[in-house]
Amino acid sequence: MNLENRKMPLLAAAAIAVVVFLQVPVLVVMLAAFSKTAYLTIPPRGLTFHWFDVVLRDPEYLSAAWTSVWLAGASTAAALVLGLIAAYAIHRRMLPGATALTSLFMAPLILPSVVLGVALLQYYTLTGLRGSPFGLWIAHVVITVPYVVRASLSSLAAVDESLEDAARVLGADGLTSFRLVTLPLVKPGLVAGGLFAFITSLDNVPVSVFLLSASQTTLPVKIFTSVEQGVDPSVAAVSTLLIVATGIALLLAERWTGFHKHV
Amino acid sequence: MTTRKTNGALLASPLLLLLLLVFVAPVLLMVPLSLHPYEPGTGISSGWTLANYTSIVTDEYYREVVVRTLVLGFGVTLICLLMDYPLACYIANAGPKIRLALTMLVIFPMLLNLVVRSFGWIALLANRGLVNNLLIDMGLIERPIKMMFNLFGLLVGMSHIFLPFMVLMLVPAIQAVSKDVQAAAYTLAASRLRVFWSVTLPMSAPGILSGSILVFVLTISALVTPRMLGGPTYKVMATLIYDDFLQTLDWPAGAAMSFTLTLLTLVVIGLSSRMLRRWGGHA
Repeated sequence: MNLENRKMPLLAAAAIAVVVFLQVPVLVVMLAAFSKTAYLTIPPRGLTFHWFDVVLRDPEYLSAAWTSVWLAGASTAAALVLGLIAAYAIHRRMLPGATALTSLFMAPLILPSVVLGVALLQYYTLTGLRGSPFGLWIAHVVITVPYVVRASLSSLAAVDESLEDAARVLGADGLTSFRLVTLPLVKPGLVAGGLFAFITSLDNVPVSVFLLSASQTTLPVKIFTSVEQGVDPSVAAVSTLLIVATGIALLLAERWTGFHKHV
Repeated sequence: MTTRKTNGALLASPLLLLLLLVFVAPVLLMVPLSLHPYEPGTGISSGWTLANYTSIVTDEYYREVVVRTLVLGFGVTLICLLMDYPLACYIANAGPKIRLALTMLVIFPMLLNLVVRSFGWIALLANRGLVNNLLIDMGLIERPIKMMFNLFGLLVGMSHIFLPFMVLMLVPAIQAVSKDVQAAAYTLAASRLRVFWSVTLPMSAPGILSGSILVFVLTISALVTPRMLGGPTYKVMATLIYDDFLQTLDWPAGAAMSFTLTLLTLVVIGLSSRMLRRWGGHA
């Protein structure tokens, strides 16, 4: 089929143009981070690592980054456990109303995030959870769990159920047969689902921005609010660090799980 | 059989409980909120009113924001479709190595923090941004063109954000178009354009529809990019809700707008899944 593409140079040109267009803002941010001037210039006037120094010494950026990472890690961990066991119960038809349950578990993907954010703002104000790390954590479990449920259901569907039955015939109890037979088979899909959950939490603004206390912020919310007060190259520097981290994570994920097949 | 059901309930109930408490209950509790009147100065009073909903239709400003949101949704969907269909065709027909490389280059910006991508567009489109600087240096314009805080900026920025989603929906749809049918059409002496128009395009229609619905729904619900590229003045529904809850504190109006936005997304998703079912495709 390669032949078909080679016969159509216009198609190739259009395709490459779009792929280049997709990288433009990314490259612009990375270039702007090395600018010597206090405002953004591209190409940068002079080369400096000054803004990286500013960011890495800024306690606000550091604590925001730390909050983002523990929040994403803790939400992903909880989502993986809750999502996998619920998906397992649905998949093995251990419950009535499996379709309705699946819809409910996937619903946080469909509801606009900003709507969930404001609904939780009122709810947490009423229940006294506003500004608490616990409230933020369970909110992030809700928005990340659909990715785990989806990945678990599709991975479980590919597992031959008779394998687990065979383990039981050989004397393994339910938990052991699940742990030794099913879990290793669904692991690649689960890793990809977990990565999506992690990225979703790390990326989230529309829910977090309504629930954070004044003293606590996540990295994307910090960038989001600081842009409203004006743009300087330190924002570009912190963005560049995120770009590099994302690129490395994508390459590692591709090597480990063939990530692009799970997208 | 009963132990099986008990086990099932034990496995699913933690997640069920979490979603009932932290998803269903908060959304339901916003219903009464949206039905209370709000008076500036005194705040939310305990009476009941439908005014928060009726004003979305009658108030000229609210109407403008809703129409703008929908225009943006259609515009971004159309741009994504036009830019992505050729790319998706190319990826679908490419050899494994090129396909992998292109897919990675499409996924990478999608995984990148949304705030960072929107910030990239600020650096490009601002008055002192890259595009204006380039145009001025080339002598094409005298003073900066306004490319942010208007429809243009939002269309460009949000199309960029949602292009990857469309590609990922289109590629499998185009790959699924039977090569035999295409070959048959060629055998019957159809031109390449004719094959595209009468075979490839209609047979990939379910993918086009799924991708369009996804991009449309994501666009009308987006908060971050419209806020960063539209600022506090050029508002869409999501940024209006944001301001109602965090700036003006008119929570009832924000709640009513939230349900309107939710209803719009549900209607779009509902209609499209009916269409897809009629075509025999899969959502």
